[in-house]
Amino acid sequence: MKYQQELKDSIRKALPDLDVVIAWSSGFDPLHATPHFIRRDEDIDRLEIGPLCVHNLATYLPGLRGKKVGIVVKGCDSRSVIELLQENLIKREDVTIFGFPCTGVVDQTKVRKALGNAGRVDFCQVASQTLVVGAGGTEHKLRLSKVLADKCFSCQYPNALLADHFVGEKISPSVAEEEGYDDLAAFENMPLDERFAFWQKEMDRCIRCYACRNACPMCVCRDHCLAESRDPHWLSQEDNVRDKWMFQLIHAYHLAGRCTECGECQRACPMDIPLLLLKKKMNKEIKELFQYEAGVDPAATPPLLSFKMEEENIKEREW
Amino acid sequence: MKIGVFVCHCGSNIEGTVDTAAVAAAAREFPGVAFATDTMYTCSEPGQEEIVTAIKEQQLDGVVVASCTPRMHEQTFRRTVERAGLNRYLFEMANIREHVSWIGKDREANTNKAIDLVRMSAAKLLHNRPLLSKKFEINKRVLIIGGGVAGIQAALDCAEGGLQVVLVEKTSSIGGKMAKLDKTFPTVDCSSCILGPRMVDVAQHPNITLHAYSEIDEVSGYVGNFEVKVKKKATYVDWKKCTGCGVCMTKCPSRKATDYFNEGIGKTTAINIPFPQAIPKKAKIDADFCMKLQKGKCGICEKICPTGCIDYSQQDEYVTEKVGAIIAATGFDLFDWTVYGEYGAGRYPDVITSLQYERMLSASGPTGGHIKRPSDGREPKNVVFIQCVGSRDKSVGRPYCTGFCCMYTAKQAILTKDHLPESRSYVFYMDIRATGKNYDEFTRRAMEEYDAKYIRGRVSMIYPKGDRLLVRGADTLMGTQVELDADLVVLAVGAQAAAGANQLAEKLRISYDSYGFYMEGHPKLKPVETNTAGVYLAGSCQGPKDIPSSVSQGSAAAAKVLGLFSKDKLESDPQVSMVDIKRCIGCGKCMKTCPFGAIKEIDFRGMKKAEVIETICQGCGICTSTCPQGAVQLQHFTDNQILSEVNALCQF
Repeated sequence: MKYQQELKDSIRKALPDLDVVIAWSSGFDPLHATPHFIRRDEDIDRLEIGPLCVHNLATYLPGLRGKKVGIVVKGCDSRSVIELLQENLIKREDVTIFGFPCTGVVDQTKVRKALGNAGRVDFCQVASQTLVVGAGGTEHKLRLSKVLADKCFSCQYPNALLADHFVGEKISPSVAEEEGYDDLAAFENMPLDERFAFWQKEMDRCIRCYACRNACPMCVCRDHCLAESRDPHWLSQEDNVRDKWMFQLIHAYHLAGRCTECGECQRACPMDIPLLLLKKKMNKEIKELFQYEAGVDPAATPPLLSFKMEEENIKEREW
Repeated sequence: MKIGVFVCHCGSNIEGTVDTAAVAAAAREFPGVAFATDTMYTCSEPGQEEIVTAIKEQQLDGVVVASCTPRMHEQTFRRTVERAGLNRYLFEMANIREHVSWIGKDREANTNKAIDLVRMSAAKLLHNRPLLSKKFEINKRVLIIGGGVAGIQAALDCAEGGLQVVLVEKTSSIGGKMAKLDKTFPTVDCSSCILGPRMVDVAQHPNITLHAYSEIDEVSGYVGNFEVKVKKKATYVDWKKCTGCGVCMTKCPSRKATDYFNEGIGKTTAINIPFPQAIPKKAKIDADFCMKLQKGKCGICEKICPTGCIDYSQQDEYVTEKVGAIIAATGFDLFDWTVYGEYGAGRYPDVITSLQYERMLSASGPTGGHIKRPSDGREPKNVVFIQCVGSRDKSVGRPYCTGFCCMYTAKQAILTKDHLPESRSYVFYMDIRATGKNYDEFTRRAMEEYDAKYIRGRVSMIYPKGDRLLVRGADTLMGTQVELDADLVVLAVGAQAAAGANQLAEKLRISYDSYGFYMEGHPKLKPVETNTAGVYLAGSCQGPKDIPSSVSQGSAAAAKVLGLFSKDKLESDPQVSMVDIKRCIGCGKCMKTCPFGAIKEIDFRGMKKAEVIETICQGCGICTSTCPQGAVQLQHFTDNQILSEVNALCQF
């Protein structure tokens, strides 16, 4: 990634005033990146940015409250930081944000499908528009347009929206603003009973591992999550689709107007349940009702975190 | 917990379509239920005694009554269990009348639903905790909104009862609609002669503070301790200096200002005192018509005013009044009759409203009490009255009867004959509604002694014929069509909710019906109370009313306020939100969403936490659904309690 050195320099300059900087480095094999906690100068050298940096590091921020934290963000990650700031869950003076222009991140499920059972990954390189993976002695060339995450094709905010240090040139979004939710059309056009059957089938596959929740930067109930709470005892531990679905619905409701569409829930899901779809649909409704997008403007008041006697687009009097 | 379940027959109201014995039998099987029975009238004295006895004999520590709506008898039964030594919140009510027996005929289905509702109540009761009220101080001042006859009556009664009264009036003088009337039915006594002295009493009473030309901007607080922000609109006249001499009115060159008091019959000056008996008798400038304020040139009133009270730079002013109770007496407005194409939709100058006619009849009105056609000033010969204009008409969304138009039309027919003995009045009516004391006799007098011709039927068309109007209508008693040559047509325009009534209701947190009239606490038993503690109603804001009824309600509301203030302290409702300080992370979301400002931030050992101000909290529950941690819980409606109800209902 061409701005990598610039980013390292800027972190090096800021590190003395910070307890930790969260970034990415190469993971257990060259195809996977992993969150990287930079505490010392030498940690900086291992930093890597690029299409493998799938994780939204903002998820770590509320847990580091009270510490001086630097964080490297993609566009979508920066929205989570903004939303956390709006909700008073982190303090602006405690966070130093390093932004860069993101050209999209890969979907490892797509990569896995494309590679098949290729064996151990020896190297991985990003050439222009192509991901070159060396595995099991052969070289696989994957077109990025085939392996990027779906969310990147409808991305509105590739550049960090809030950054103390921004490296590189800002790039323009992949689709026009009014097309941001076009990917929902196919789902919305399904008849109601088909939609119901669709979710019934998807939710039935859930293994209740709650990786979706753990990865979500906006999941802030923490110790009081309905999944584990016994007081109130919201959910049973039975293996039935009803309880699994109930959890996902409440998760989606808790995120209405707050979800920054980073897609971590879906990425983390070992069963590849299309969880982002549910949340994007909620966000679309919120956008139509309140002209509001979560995590875009740090000074905005989230519509569901305010009280108005009369909403502009909810004509209660005409009901 | 040992729960007792009492299933009420309510005579045949419930028993008619619900097998109450089966409900009681089913209830005996529910967890925690130790005793269940069905009774004829649970709310009656023997019914309540049965509960008290059962609590004592069976050592019950919780009671479910399955009967009517909690709005009806929750307080009754809470007192009953309290009498037997239980906390009043160890009681639950299942509504099996309004929610079951009255809405379905299928006995089996109804019985099953009643069982479900009782199961829910019993399940919730297992999670109920004793709650205790707190006592708080009250501010024994009362705010009355609206200075019409109802508001005046309420103000005088409260002031006489020793309370400090704040009266807020939207226009620059109190008096309301009644001040515009010439005479009042059924005695035909002069309206301003009976109202005038009352208005003067308001002005002179040491206990009454009058804010005229003012509106309610914000209301916060709760029963006993409201804080009301009153906006005193700019009059451009320093009322402390103005003596009401009226010199300014004689010299003001802008003479085309809308005369609101005279209902647009004639014009007035930009600076004006609306009528000679106005209280307070102070001038105000209508900024829309003032040359000085519009164009910066003129300033004559400033030069001529003997006390130097004109101030063109005056701004709206805000005052905050602290009161313990509020009476809304905001009255009504006239229906906009121009939606009726058949009456000319406002094109014909000689088709006027009853209130305009009233101003014309009044000796202090713009015509000096002479009946003149607005078009040419000629005295009319034939005057046609049309009743039910914007009343009892679904097609314009006004299906209700305004109630007093029949009477004032009869009065106006009588007065017409008095003013113009040569004239003849014709009244198109649907039905005569004259149900008050001496009312029917009065309408008979109009017909028999004053020769008013009453025609039962509707008017289908009014159109000009020469310089007169041709009124075509039906005579449904004769089964014929009638055509009348009219010189003047007077429309008995119905009443509708006052402009801005909805907005005020929302500030006061009271509800209103689909027409915008304020909802009383109970249609029969709480006619002047609202469901918001400390807010009362008087007069036509609750529904169209004639003067005697408005005055009665003014007095009734005053009696309620005096009753409320007879105590020195009130008890707070413990059904409010509470913050679990261990769970609270101090994110402040609850504070942002609270519509009442009832949550404040506190510092707890260096950490930010939320705290509910119990007396301000209204128990709406928005904070509880906002709090991500579930740290805020609404007492008596905790997540656990609601979940136990849902689980009792949704059994798989």
